[in-house]
Amino acid sequence: MPKPVVLKSNKYGINLILDNHMDFEELLKCIMERFKEAESFFKNAKMAISFEGRNLTQEEEFRIVETITDNTNINIICILDNDALKEELIRQKIEHFEEEQAGKTGEFYKGTLRSGQVLDCESSIIILGDINPGAKVISKGNIVVLGALKGNAYAGANGNEQAFVAALQMDPIQVKIGDVIGRSADKVQSTKKRGRKQQILIEPQVAIVKDGNIYIEPITKGLLNNI
Amino acid sequence: MSEVIVITSGKGGVGKTTTTANVGTGLAQLDKKVVLIDTDIGLRNLDVVMGLENRIVYNLVDVVEGNCRMKQALIKDKRYPNLSLLPSAQTRDKTAVSPEQMIKLIDELREDFDYILLDCPAGIEQGFKNAIAGADRALVVTTPEVSAIRDADRIIGLLGANDVKNVELIVNRLRMDMVKRGDMMNINDVTDILAIELIGAVPDDEQIVISTNQGEPLVGSDCLAGQAYANICHRLLGEQVPFLDLEVKSSVWNKLKDIFKKN
Repeated sequence: MPKPVVLKSNKYGINLILDNHMDFEELLKCIMERFKEAESFFKNAKMAISFEGRNLTQEEEFRIVETITDNTNINIICILDNDALKEELIRQKIEHFEEEQAGKTGEFYKGTLRSGQVLDCESSIIILGDINPGAKVISKGNIVVLGALKGNAYAGANGNEQAFVAALQMDPIQVKIGDVIGRSADKVQSTKKRGRKQQILIEPQVAIVKDGNIYIEPITKGLLNNI
Repeated sequence: MSEVIVITSGKGGVGKTTTTANVGTGLAQLDKKVVLIDTDIGLRNLDVVMGLENRIVYNLVDVVEGNCRMKQALIKDKRYPNLSLLPSAQTRDKTAVSPEQMIKLIDELREDFDYILLDCPAGIEQGFKNAIAGADRALVVTTPEVSAIRDADRIIGLLGANDVKNVELIVNRLRMDMVKRGDMMNINDVTDILAIELIGAVPDDEQIVISTNQGEPLVGSDCLAGQAYANICHRLLGEQVPFLDLEVKSSVWNKLKDIFKKN
């Protein structure tokens, strides 16, 4: 038979897990017994207390605290609203998650993406290879290609327009950041004189959103600081 | 034990069947025992290119369904007794054969031949899956055109996903005059995008059209395409052969003619 009162200690103090169906007076007795048992363990501890497993009115909560302080040497400093505990944990989780999304952490992918392949990633992604035309990279964070980006890249897939797409050779068919799409220029007729090829400058570039449009610019220190 | 090579491309019309016929014949010229299998069920044409269509009695689907023995379906080549052809069916379609049946069929042939060449149909559906089922290595054929290269890239990705690791490239129908003018990609541009080993480059040659129409593969003959195919065969055997110089050497007279034509 599961215990009506379970004591769990955590960072802040103790978490009192109470049986939901028992009559309150009986429960109070059980609590008293439980704490009496554990008295030597807790001694003169100062702690916060939180309740779980049963909805208690303020009065009931006070009565429990009274019971504990009257019958043991434990000093209850405060009652932690159970929700506050959970809230704190949730907040931490979200912060971590948002950090991931804000692009402070990322994943690696080694290899070339070929036409028809799609790489879908929750966090930012760094690709050690090329993205061939017809291939697609989707990320909720940023995309960095240590190679040639010749296919499609979609950064900030959850609507984050602060994301960026960087590549050693920026030659994409389409770039999408957040909700903004940019496409490559329609092919310009290149006039190549016989024997002399145009020197196409290949430099690392980054694509960002400015004023609702996609801008592709060479990577300079100033630019990186402003992203 | 033989080597099973699938010749594929994704895009249609880039020269898979021509390549299969010529490479197969070239290997036979080098005294290897070769069998060519046409896996394009419903649109067979390897037999036409080899000039053997009037000798067909049974075909691949008959063997798979057990209507005949393998020996009855195999056709010996006109010119080389160590070269055989297993033709495809004209009246069925690609759902008539499954990848498992292909593997079984190829296992039956492994004992008797040094090389098994599979002519893959265009596309990425059942026909393609059948053709790559038993393959050890692949030759991807492409022309230096954007659409062909896109499809070849897709095929290379699919081959990788299906565990065919040894993939090499043949660039077909190169026109060096257009490359010089900058109107066509050169070999380096193609290999840059596809990023696999190049095993051969075959120039566009009028002789090919004549040879396929007459049903006589031209590998080994004097023309540039023939030599290119012969080189591919040598490279398949592991020899190091330098790539042909595909520049078209035009005489002074032709150059003068060009100048007057332009005006």
